[in-house]
Amino acid sequence: MSSLKNNKILVLIVVAVVVIAAGLAIVYLQPASPPQRLIIATTTSTVDTGLLDYLKPHFDSKFSANMTWLYLGTGQALEVTSRGDADVLLVHDRVREDAFVSSGNGTLRATVMYNDFIIVGPPNDPANARGTNATEAMTKIAQAGASGNATFVSRGDNSGTNALEKRLWTKAGISTNGTWYVSTGSGMAPTIRVANEKGGYTISDRGSFYKLRSTMNTTLSLVILCENDTSLLNPYGIILLNSTKYPNINSDLATNFLLFMVSKQGQSLIGNYTVDGKQLFFPVYGNPESIGLPPENATVTYLNSQLKSKGFE
Amino acid sequence: MGGFEIIAEGFARALQILLSGDQEILGITLLSLRVSLTATLLGAAFGIPLGFLVARKDFHGKSVVTTVINTLMGLPPVVVGLVVYLFLSASGPLGFLRLLYTPEAMIIAQMILTFPVVCGITISSVLSLNPKLKETLVSLSASSSWEARVLLNESRLGLITAIIAAFGAAISEVGAIMMVGGNLLGYTRALTTAIMLYTNMGDFATAIALGIILLMIAFGVNLFLTYLQMRSRVRRTT
Repeated sequence: MSSLKNNKILVLIVVAVVVIAAGLAIVYLQPASPPQRLIIATTTSTVDTGLLDYLKPHFDSKFSANMTWLYLGTGQALEVTSRGDADVLLVHDRVREDAFVSSGNGTLRATVMYNDFIIVGPPNDPANARGTNATEAMTKIAQAGASGNATFVSRGDNSGTNALEKRLWTKAGISTNGTWYVSTGSGMAPTIRVANEKGGYTISDRGSFYKLRSTMNTTLSLVILCENDTSLLNPYGIILLNSTKYPNINSDLATNFLLFMVSKQGQSLIGNYTVDGKQLFFPVYGNPESIGLPPENATVTYLNSQLKSKGFE
Repeated sequence: MGGFEIIAEGFARALQILLSGDQEILGITLLSLRVSLTATLLGAAFGIPLGFLVARKDFHGKSVVTTVINTLMGLPPVVVGLVVYLFLSASGPLGFLRLLYTPEAMIIAQMILTFPVVCGITISSVLSLNPKLKETLVSLSASSSWEARVLLNESRLGLITAIIAAFGAAISEVGAIMMVGGNLLGYTRALTTAIMLYTNMGDFATAIALGIILLMIAFGVNLFLTYLQMRSRVRRTT
């Protein structure tokens, strides 16, 4: 009934299916991924700086684990985690971190490290922001922006950096409506690149800026104009999730991650991480008072006893 | 460094990666292939039969259905990613499947993208067959399975085009697999999401290198599919 031509095309289709199936079988024969996977929801800065890449082999070998991370802003990291889609948080927006814990999503928060924010801009500095404090710098940038001489490039992504930026505008009493204010809606490094292209100003954590400068070399013309202001301090916290609320997360490994980060080994690894000879993160576990933050005595006492009983120290 | 230098450096980096057999990049490449090929095959498995039915059957609202399918050919990947994420999220309706941030989730998202592409092109290639063919089949009082086989066989050029287009859409998209795969190193990091990450980190040369590898893979797959297409075209004329 069927013609010779039909048979030939059928054979051809069968051959094609077999070839593709064989190809898929080969591809599927990759080793199955290990079950002990830790998913950290984190901010762009811990990824952009290379810190997590640097810590991963140490953590993985210590716990036979596979440390992975979701590259998000703090806002999205908190949202994704509150839905139960990540095991632990490493973020930098104290206000929302505390809200996350007090709403019952998290059980414990510890400050583990800090760096600081810097205001960067074009070397010719049309707003004269160089050497001022953060609030003055923001005011000058806005004034120069209003007269058409400066641009401010914002993350605009509800990240920790974006939250700090908004707090600074509020503190300076400035409304950001105007063509001088540009919102990228993306991570730190992409935002710095946009500011670089536009000859604009932006706020970055120091780590992301140094790392990008070391990658881009002379193509990054922006310079640091404003730094070492206490209002630009950038502490990072780790939050453990409520395992009753999120029974499916890997809470044991998440706890181990927190303990690893606050252990002597973790703290010294963090302090030893450098890019082009510059230290990007400063360990501060157990002593947040030293940078003017409220003490975390109860948390520190608890974690220290955990460190002892689990044989970290 | 200017644009041309970075692109040239990207080519050099691509060559270096290919020659050194970098395990991480190899894993990323295999994952991209596995996800996009599976999504294309699944999209075709559903899209070709449905497209054929829509093209062959006369029913009320046929043009509306066709228009809807043609519109879905332009589905934004990131919207598909967001919707699939919300379904697969631990707090979503399908959260119990524990599929979020797995290659399977990436396949599901890409299948939603490839399905309308295959379906839409199948409809148009079956519709564009010579009407005399159907008259002949009717005059031979052909069975419906015989008729389907002959008509699908006659529209095979279009069907292969459909698969080529679907694979192209899958292998090149980044928005959907970023949302549902999470770009986890060594597990759900694919070529496009890795390109995005390297670009964000300012490592343009590696990003370009991965882009070149992606194009080479797409070329290899299309070479095979085009070979099939050419062969079947030659057969038709002999």
